[in-house]
Amino acid sequence: MKNFYEVVFIVRPDAMPGLVESIASDITKIIKDEGEDVTKTEFCGLRQFAYPIKKNKSGHYVLLNIFGNSTTIAEIDRKLRINENVLRHLVLKVDRLDNNPSPLMQNKHYRENLLSNSGEEEFSAKNIGE
Amino acid sequence: MNRGNFEKNTSRTNDARNATDRANTLRKQQIFKGRGCPFSGKKALQINYKDVAVLSKFLSERGKIIPSRVTSVCFKKQRELAKAIKRARFLALIPYVND
Repeated sequence: MKNFYEVVFIVRPDAMPGLVESIASDITKIIKDEGEDVTKTEFCGLRQFAYPIKKNKSGHYVLLNIFGNSTTIAEIDRKLRINENVLRHLVLKVDRLDNNPSPLMQNKHYRENLLSNSGEEEFSAKNIGE
Repeated sequence: MNRGNFEKNTSRTNDARNATDRANTLRKQQIFKGRGCPFSGKKALQINYKDVAVLSKFLSERGKIIPSRVTSVCFKKQRELAKAIKRARFLALIPYVND
């Protein structure tokens, strides 16, 4: 049975250029090979940590939205755990996937808008790029 | 970040910090007073572990979760909120302790 999953992982800040993308594309490939879907891939960029993780002060955040089987997800979880460049990862089963950019991606301006109009769903992806 | 001072007189600074924390909680109590649950209803805020801006409204200065009797979040949503905050902490989006 297929379910919705969200995967967030954090890559070391001193990773070689392209490494973050290659980890994400490796995962995407595993899922695609099983005939399942990655509905959204977000590279949230280098972000400061609230506390150090393995003596690192920042990391590259990546978010994947996946519609797939639990066996595939278990395999991804295993791969992420083995990979030394991944500082931390979180795999969640969710009720539904949000295809709008996540709050991690949104700039400050957008967030202020969201708070003042709390809960309104009118913000499309177009409004955010500016 | 005042480490030296902190170690010299731990108990007193801790008391002082807890006092400011309580004062802060009281201030938030006044902000939230007289309203229903901020996560219930049609135009409610959405609980999302990635949304630091929303989560931090329900944290004290020290990074503790503010009790629902202060913020008037309903019990069901408070459970969701606590879970979201703990996920955000795990991802180092918000601190476990703020000192």
